[in-house]
Amino acid sequence: MSPIIQVSDLRKHFKLARHYRGFLGSLRNLFTRQYRLVRAVDGISFNIEPGELVGYIGPNGAGKSTTIKMLAGLLVPTSGDLFINNHIPWRDRKSYVANIGAVFGQRTTLWWDLPVIESLDLLQYIYRVPAERFQRNLDEFRQLLDLDTFIDTPVRSLSLGQRMRADLCAAMMHDPVLLFLDEPTIGLDVVAKERIRQFIMHINHEHGTTILLTTHDLSDVEKLCERVMIIDHGKLLYDGALEILRERFGGKRKLVVDFAQEYETVEVEGAEVVARDGLRVTYEFERGTMTASNLIGRLSTLFRIHDLEVREPDIEATVRRIYEERLLEK
Amino acid sequence: MSYVIGIYRRLISVQIRSQMQYRFPFLVDLVATGFITISGFVTLAFVMQRFGSIAGWKLGEVAFLYGMVETSFGLMDMIFSGFDPGNFGRQTRLGRFDQLLLRPVDITLQVLGSEFVIRRLGRIAQGVVILILALTMIHIHWTFVKVLYLPVVLSSLIAFFGGLNIIGATISFWTLESIEIVNIFTYGGTEMMSYPMQIYPHWLRDFFSYVLPAIFLNYYPSLYFLGKPDPLHFPTIAPFLAPVAGFGVLGIALAFWKFGIRHYQSTGT
Repeated sequence: MSPIIQVSDLRKHFKLARHYRGFLGSLRNLFTRQYRLVRAVDGISFNIEPGELVGYIGPNGAGKSTTIKMLAGLLVPTSGDLFINNHIPWRDRKSYVANIGAVFGQRTTLWWDLPVIESLDLLQYIYRVPAERFQRNLDEFRQLLDLDTFIDTPVRSLSLGQRMRADLCAAMMHDPVLLFLDEPTIGLDVVAKERIRQFIMHINHEHGTTILLTTHDLSDVEKLCERVMIIDHGKLLYDGALEILRERFGGKRKLVVDFAQEYETVEVEGAEVVARDGLRVTYEFERGTMTASNLIGRLSTLFRIHDLEVREPDIEATVRRIYEERLLEK
Repeated sequence: MSYVIGIYRRLISVQIRSQMQYRFPFLVDLVATGFITISGFVTLAFVMQRFGSIAGWKLGEVAFLYGMVETSFGLMDMIFSGFDPGNFGRQTRLGRFDQLLLRPVDITLQVLGSEFVIRRLGRIAQGVVILILALTMIHIHWTFVKVLYLPVVLSSLIAFFGGLNIIGATISFWTLESIEIVNIFTYGGTEMMSYPMQIYPHWLRDFFSYVLPAIFLNYYPSLYFLGKPDPLHFPTIAPFLAPVAGFGVLGIALAFWKFGIRHYQSTGT
């Protein structure tokens, strides 16, 4: 099967106007402009296969939203090629968007004053979803997303978590082959996040929907995505398995040891003591030069050990390091 | 086609039901907008009572002009409220326009269906009252052609004002601050069109003849309906140019709108 999303050398450059304030300033804005060029997306290429669930991450202003907007057909690229689900998104907008779904973080596609169910009915008409399929999807999603308690409530009265669930349901009612999620868990509590992750997982597995999601919350990526793409300054820094990212840039791992008795010195070659609290000692060791089993072997020949635990650095710290130390830039 | 009408009908019905949920503000606004219209006219009536006429136009005749403009502007303000420049610009900056672009429906139809301010009925009703008042004060020699032409003029006026709104909404893709300048044309234009055009200085009249052809939408048709001579000596076809001017402006506005959407999609601002 050929990739469902093909992106090659995609660029989006903006001219940002300098703004003058006040009434006279607004007249001036109308006639004269000074511009600054912003390379929001600066030559990225990737393919996504049908059924993949890909995380797209990067700091604020890295170009995530601009990319998603181009993929969803909202923005026309400055240059480069986009070929998605047999369409060029911005050129065949209407026929393209009929088969995709999108949820943009804090913005709702639903009608503010309508009960959720009536918004869904309206979308059924707009997307021409056959009644039987609509009912089947509705039954499935209302149970998965637990919509029943608020399906008759106007959207304006919903909590953020409820609204996000309603929006996810709305985005899936027409069985899109492709789903774009821009910050689907932003501002939600742990329970709400978990429910939304379950839903994303479910539609990816059961419906085979290809999903691209951007997020600030790296635990979303850890729980959902095998593949992750990292963008910064408009360029793709990394595209691959999350596991490999961790191995390459994970930095130092920790080994926490509970000794069976007090020792005066607990130093060991190849690792550094970073914390000591009674019988508990924390070592740090480099990924490339020392393995966990090797270190544990050395320690157990020197000391009597009661218990131990290897701690991987969390992905959040890993990614922060990549941004801060520009580890991926050539 | 029935799909398009179905979409429009459903979108409008959502708007009407939403507004019905806020009954008190709805009623207040209904009365207030109507009151502004009628009080404007009452002021005019007092002034005219003192001076008798404006440039040979009697109160009833001016009332006819006034009523035509108010009724059609009110109708436009209801039908084209999705294109209200200020509101459209703000909604667009909140990402609302992006949400519309995500739906597989013509974008113009969706914007048209995104607002339908029924409380404008207040203004429309007052406009109709003034129009009826005018018809009782003056004697119009009705012919078959005049009866047929009246709704044509009204719909041309709606198209003309609608076109101005669409141009304003389109400009908001570039700038929100300058929207006030558009409003000068829309509201200023409406105000000007409520009076006989011959009272204005030459340059202003030229502007409203050749740049923004407002003169053919209200003044000339009114001369025809009222059976008044033309002091400006335009060709005799002038009173019948209303549909050309009205729908011409709307057509140009829609072309500009399409251009604006392309600009928006290439800048995302």
